[in-house]
Amino acid sequence: MPSELMNPLSPAMIEARGVEKWYPNGFHALRGVDLTVQRGEVVVIMGPSGSGKSTFIRTFNALEEFQKGSITVDGIALSDDLRKIDAIRREVGMVFQQFNLFPHLSVLDNLTLAPVMVRKRRKDEVLQQAMALLERVGIAEQAHKFPGQLSGGQQQRVAIARSLCMEPRILLFDEPTSSLDPEMVREVLEVMQGLAADGMTMVVVTHEVGFARQVADRVVLMADGLVVEEGAPQRFFDHPQHERSRQFLAQIL
Amino acid sequence: MGPIQRLRKDLFANPLDGLVSVLLLSGLAVAGYRLLHWALTQARWAVIQANSTLLAVGRYPIEQQWRLWLLVALVAAASGLSWGVLRGLPVRDRPKTTLWPSNDRLAAILLVFLASWTPALLGLTLAIQARWWTLTALVLLMRWLAGRYAGRFAKPAALAMPLLWPLLYLLGMVLIGGGLGLVTVGANEWGGLLLTLVEASFAILLSFPLGVLLALGRRSSLPMLRWGSIVYIEFIRGAPLITLLFLGQNILGFLLPGGLAPDRVWRAAWILTFFSAAYLAEAVRSGLAAVPRGQLEAARSLGLSLPQALGRVVLPQALRVALPATVGQFISLLQDTTLLSLIGLLDLLGTARSVMANPLYLGKSAEVYLTLAVLFWCCCAALGLGSRALERRLSPPSLSR
Ligand SMILES: Nc1ncnc2c1ncn2[C@@H]1O[C@H](COP(=O)(O)OP(=O)(O)O)[C@@H](O)[C@H]1O
Ligand SMILES: [Mg+2]
Repeated sequence: MPSELMNPLSPAMIEARGVEKWYPNGFHALRGVDLTVQRGEVVVIMGPSGSGKSTFIRTFNALEEFQKGSITVDGIALSDDLRKIDAIRREVGMVFQQFNLFPHLSVLDNLTLAPVMVRKRRKDEVLQQAMALLERVGIAEQAHKFPGQLSGGQQQRVAIARSLCMEPRILLFDEPTSSLDPEMVREVLEVMQGLAADGMTMVVVTHEVGFARQVADRVVLMADGLVVEEGAPQRFFDHPQHERSRQFLAQIL
Repeated sequence: MGPIQRLRKDLFANPLDGLVSVLLLSGLAVAGYRLLHWALTQARWAVIQANSTLLAVGRYPIEQQWRLWLLVALVAAASGLSWGVLRGLPVRDRPKTTLWPSNDRLAAILLVFLASWTPALLGLTLAIQARWWTLTALVLLMRWLAGRYAGRFAKPAALAMPLLWPLLYLLGMVLIGGGLGLVTVGANEWGGLLLTLVEASFAILLSFPLGVLLALGRRSSLPMLRWGSIVYIEFIRGAPLITLLFLGQNILGFLLPGGLAPDRVWRAAWILTFFSAAYLAEAVRSGLAAVPRGQLEAARSLGLSLPQALGRVVLPQALRVALPATVGQFISLLQDTTLLSLIGLLDLLGTARSVMANPLYLGKSAEVYLTLAVLFWCCCAALGLGSRALERRLSPPSLSR
């Protein structure tokens, strides 16, 4: 990315200030949310269902619009400027609860589609990288299969590899293990742990307390469209400061 | 399971099934026997023999008819090619299909069987009979070549196949209408099956992209585009085709300045196109609705632009789902062309009616209508078979299969 686009005053990877969002039906889903994510940091967002976690992280790559406040991603301010949105989407990868692999394309084509179409890279070069990534997430031998032929855990690992193939600076995860059978959760979390160890900046919405304790630098609790509490995992889980946090932890622990 | 056991299981699983099967089968047998008896002993096929050229091409000049034969040969070759590619080529990651799956072997035998005696039965001259045999041989030869060798050229074949039919269509229009050094044969000289097929194929080829655009427009977030599409689709779907045809014949003449208004044949073709596009839009819309929202979101979050995401991720899946409904629309479009006879065009039905009006052939309408029905049935069956082969080829493999 051209360096003049980067804001030297803001070394943070994501900087969200007072973000407010109303859905078209008038529902006030985000009511002034602040969050700063540093480079290389892993932030876990928790909170009861319907508290606005998905809505919030989807504003980072402009899958959702917001009406008030500001968001800066890697120095680029999110605005209506479509070119800036495209630039941000190239740098921000997203992994969804439902995997959202492209079922009509082979695993390999799922990985190479965006780098070839968006980054205009040569197909053979991308293919090599794609195979290396599939190796890394442990499913190189499935490269020529179609998504419908894989288990949920394998699909989610392909989805992670697909995001990585665009060489993003940030990865967003929206409940990546919530629709997996229990025995497949670990294989996905292990891949994510590996990414964190390699220094990837990650924002992860999850209810996996073990993952949050081991991997997260910071845990954020959201409720009713607001950030209620944030802190290091040990402090957050062992000495929650707010009544709302204690209620939530009592439910999931 | 052998064919006999399968028949037993399908038709005679329990006493009630058996009874229903026996009744239906005997009813069918009686009706079939009567029809055959009538067709072979009582019917007088002279009306078809004497008018076969008229029914096929109308008043197309005889000395130019070689162009149509050439076109038929090209279509036969293209059909054989498509057949071979759709059925004979292995799909990657699926068990290798044989060169001739058993259904195809049966179809080929049936084709040879029909080609060997129908032309003679219809009383065509030996020279014409020979042409039909050659055409059949051409279809089967191309089928074999494509199935046998296209695998080696999979990449160029995949690129060329979607272009084959539109290109052939353009070439066909030149062959039929003239230009590029060929003598012009005006649209008012086309008739019979030729006119029916020209009108139907024109409308099919053009209404498809138009329908896709309308379907996308209907789901667009731009209000003007959305409302425009909705009004168009609902207006067209709310009016019977025949009124639109009459309206179009009159109104297009007023609306467009003199000289720009296309002649009656093309006017009708455009109206069929606009009509069919509205229905196709609905078929495509149901396909779009079947693609989960997450697909577009995933594509966009990877940085694909909206046209890229639609073209590479959403539409391929949506059109695959919409394929049966789309082909159903094509089939009804083909049948709707018979309405053209009501606005005075000499399509297949119009030509047939003019033949039946001839006192010489009084009381021979059963023979003529039966011939028409068989011709339409053959065209629709070809469309249906092609669509099913395409559907099977396009569906991605999954665990459940
Ligand atoms: N498209 C929408 N229109 C209206 N309300 C919505 C829409 N999407 C989500 N919501 C509402 O916004 C709130 C936050 O949703 P979401 O961000 O998905 O929560 P979470 O991911 O924390 O479970 C919920 O109450 C939900 O009902
Ligand atoms: Mg959610």
